[in-house]
Amino acid sequence: MNLLKFLVATIVETLLRVLPFPCKTGLVKIGNPDRNAPVLLTCNYHLTVERLRRALKGVDAYLLVANSRGINVWCASTGGLFTSHDVISVLKTSGIEGLVDHRDLILPQLAATGVESKIIGKKTGWKVIWGPVLAKDIPAFLQNKLEKTSQMRQTEFPPMQRIEMAVAWAFPISIILAPFMIPFWREAVFPFISLVWGLSFSIFLCFPLYSQWLSPEGRRVGFIFFDFGRGGFQLILWGAIILGLITYSMAVGDFRWGFILRWGFMSLIIVLLLSIDVMGSTPVLKSGLHGDRLLKIHLDERKCKGVGVCEQVCPRDCYEVDRDRHTARIPRARRCVKCGACMVQCPFDALYFQSPRGEILTPETVRRFKLNLVGKRLVKVEGRL
Amino acid sequence: MSTYILMKVLEYAPSRYDKGIRVLTLGGLERAYDRLTSHIEEGQKVLDLGCGTGALTLRAALKGAKVKGIDINPQMLDIARGKIVEANLASKVEVCEMGVAELGGERRESYDVVMGGLCLSELTEDELTYALRQVKEILKPAGLLLIADEVRPKSISKLMLNWLIRLPLVVFTYLITQATTKPVMDLPEKIQGAGLVIESVRLSRMEDFIELVARKPKGG
Repeated sequence: MNLLKFLVATIVETLLRVLPFPCKTGLVKIGNPDRNAPVLLTCNYHLTVERLRRALKGVDAYLLVANSRGINVWCASTGGLFTSHDVISVLKTSGIEGLVDHRDLILPQLAATGVESKIIGKKTGWKVIWGPVLAKDIPAFLQNKLEKTSQMRQTEFPPMQRIEMAVAWAFPISIILAPFMIPFWREAVFPFISLVWGLSFSIFLCFPLYSQWLSPEGRRVGFIFFDFGRGGFQLILWGAIILGLITYSMAVGDFRWGFILRWGFMSLIIVLLLSIDVMGSTPVLKSGLHGDRLLKIHLDERKCKGVGVCEQVCPRDCYEVDRDRHTARIPRARRCVKCGACMVQCPFDALYFQSPRGEILTPETVRRFKLNLVGKRLVKVEGRL
Repeated sequence: MSTYILMKVLEYAPSRYDKGIRVLTLGGLERAYDRLTSHIEEGQKVLDLGCGTGALTLRAALKGAKVKGIDINPQMLDIARGKIVEANLASKVEVCEMGVAELGGERRESYDVVMGGLCLSELTEDELTYALRQVKEILKPAGLLLIADEVRPKSISKLMLNWLIRLPLVVFTYLITQATTKPVMDLPEKIQGAGLVIESVRLSRMEDFIELVARKPKGG
C-alpha cells in the first residue's frame, strides 16, 4: 500500500515537476531516535520527504521538514525561498531542542546556496554539518562519522534523472499544446504527442553524447534562448526526422511536400521548445538563460585560510584544499555551475564572482540577492553585462 | 479579496510592492490598516510582525508609538528603512531582519501592542502556534494583539466561491513565483487557545479577510 502511494506520488509529481508540491512541515521521527540521534533537515517538497523516508529505512533519526514553499532544496535555496530563517524557524518551533542533547544539524549540501550556517550558529547555537547531495548516501554518511566521499558531494546527471527531466518537459508541452490541435487537426494529436515524448527522451537520454559541446561561454546575450551546443545534436535529430519523413512517404508511394513541410515544421517547433534551456535542466551545467552564466569564480588567496568549507559545499568538485599550506585552489573552475554555495558559506569571504567586464560580485551580494525569475541579482548582473 | 494571492508576485519584486497592493485591493487593505492602528496610542511600545515595507509600522509610528518591525525579507526591509527615513521617523522605529521563531529573544511583558498585517497566513502550523504563545509572553498585561489577514471562510458556499475565484489567481501566481499564500483556518479559536481574549472581529463579506482585536487578560 505504501509502495503504491509512493509510486503514484512519484509519477504525478514527475509529470508535474515544474510545480511545487508542499507537504507538512515540522518534526518527523525516523525509527526509534534517542537523545543522541542525528538530526537531519530537509525542504517540504513532498517527493523529497517521501524519498528521504525510504532512504532512511533502518536508521534512527529525527527529520526536520522546513518550509521551502513546496520546492526542492536546490531551487528553493538558490531562489531565496529556503533561507536561514526557515531553518531557524523549524529548529525553534518543532520542539527538537527538548528532544536531543546535542546541537549538530545535518543539512542537505545543496541548501548551501541559500542557508547560511554562520547565521544559524549565531542565532541558535546549532552547528551545521553539510550532508551529502543525495538522500541515498545518508546512511553511509552517518556510518562514516559524518565524513563525505567526493562522490557524495557531487551532482551527476544519471539516466534516472535524465528520464525525469525528459518527462518534466514532455508532459507540460503535450498537455498545453494538444488541446489546441483538437478542433483543427484532430488526427494529428497522437502523432504530435509521440513526437514530443520521443524527442524529449532522445534529447535527454543522449545528453552524455553531446554535453561536451554545451557551454555558456562565448555566447552573446540576445541569443541565449536555445541550447544547441556546437554539435547541434537537436538539429541533427531534426534532420533525421525529416529524412525519416521523406523515406516513409517514398516507401508508401505517396510523396507529398505538404506532408513533409507540415511535420517538418511541427517537429522544428518541438525541438526549439525542448531546447530552450537544456543546460538549465541539468544539475551539471549552468542555465543558458541566466546572466550569471558568464561569471567566473575567483579566490582571494590573502583571505583564504584553507578551512575547506568550499570543498564541502561545491556540488561540482571544483576545489582542492591544501591542508598543509592552509589554502584552497580552484583547479576545476571549468565545471562551476555558478550556484554560489562556496561564496555564501566561506567564513572569510575569500571568494568572489567576476563578470567578463571585470566587475566584482561580492559574497554579500550573493547572500542578499537570490537568483530567481524576477530577482534583483539577475537584473543587476544582466544590467552590467 | 482573493487578490492577496497576487501579492506574492509583488513580494518577489519588492520595489513594486506598495503601488501594486493599492491597485490590487482598491485601497481596501489601507482602510483595514487604518482601522487597526486606530487602537494604538501615543507613547506605546509596539511590535509589528512581518512588517514588510512598513505599512503598519509607519502608521503606528505616526500615532506616536515606538515601533519595532520584524520581517525575514531583507529587500522589503530596505524599502521600509527608506520610507522611515523619508517620514523622519528614524528615532521612533527600528526594523530587524528576523522571523517570528526568534520572538523568544524579546523581553517578557515589554509590548503594549503586537500587530501583524498579512503575516500569520505566511506561517506554518508550528510557527503560528509558537508565535501566538510568544506574543502572549511578550505582551504586557492588558496588551493588545491586532491582526489583519486572509482567513479560510467557514460557510461551505463561501468557501467554494472563494476557491473558484482564487484558482486562476493561484495558478498565475504559482507560475511566476512558485509560491502561494495559505489563508489561516480557525484563527479566532487559535488566538483564544493561546490565552488571549477576543475583543472584536470584523470579517469581509466573502468571509475571507479578518480584522481582529484581542487582549491579554489583566492577570497575565
